[in-house]
Amino acid sequence: METDKLAQLRSGDPVLFAELVRDHHRALIALTVPIVGISEAEEVVQNAWLKAYQAIGSFAGKSAIRTWLGSIAINEAKMQRRQRKRELLFSDHGDENQNTEDGLTQRFTERGHWQHPPAHWHIDSPESLLTGEQLAECLERLLAAMPDNQRCILEMRDASGLSFEEICNALTVSASNARVLLHRARTQLFKLVDHYEETGEC
Amino acid sequence: MLSCREVVNHADRLLEDDLSFSARIAIKFHLLLCRHCRRYVKQLRRLVAAIPFMHNKATDEEVHKVMDCIH
Repeated sequence: METDKLAQLRSGDPVLFAELVRDHHRALIALTVPIVGISEAEEVVQNAWLKAYQAIGSFAGKSAIRTWLGSIAINEAKMQRRQRKRELLFSDHGDENQNTEDGLTQRFTERGHWQHPPAHWHIDSPESLLTGEQLAECLERLLAAMPDNQRCILEMRDASGLSFEEICNALTVSASNARVLLHRARTQLFKLVDHYEETGEC
Repeated sequence: MLSCREVVNHADRLLEDDLSFSARIAIKFHLLLCRHCRRYVKQLRRLVAAIPFMHNKATDEEVHKVMDCIH
């Protein structure tokens, strides 16, 4: 974020803050659903926005703003869960029916060399890679069908940039399990984009 | 030498700069020789960079709701 914009934001500029809400609200909802459930995620994120607004003057800009907001939302979700004495919805088991090997297995020969190597992707910018109209629809379906625990780690680590330490702390999952779940989630996304780039369909 | 499948399995840690010196050298050596794995790692890196942008922007209604509660 540019220095001028950051200074304006830290001074509590409501227009810039509303822009933040527009850009990050959906990601924060997705981040908290696995911790408090879909019915309470909106309330949790609403409280997180209030806390963020009150603390924005102390945002130093050392981490990405999404990561800073994500940490606030996760803390809010954990607090709400404790207050309401709810069980954590996250489980690092439960996708045993999924292919437990990496999802690209069929693309290698028996000796582990590429049989069906990745296609060449046409990438203009990180912002545009996943947001093309047709791909965005397929991505939405893929995320909806993804096992909750994989989606959860993907949202925390890749969409919000939280550290593995924060993730393990919030979900009581081991770092090694979190890494396995993240690898599976990324692989599904990789396959989706690769197929789309190769065939124009998904 | 590592197989391509092994490189793919270590690629997440490569991106996070979280590999031992010897594992990093083994992967870098493989990447020098294998254009498919070079492409895989490059595109995985770009995919990971794109994930923070995968969510739609909030609607006006959602933004107003949040801002109303703040003020």
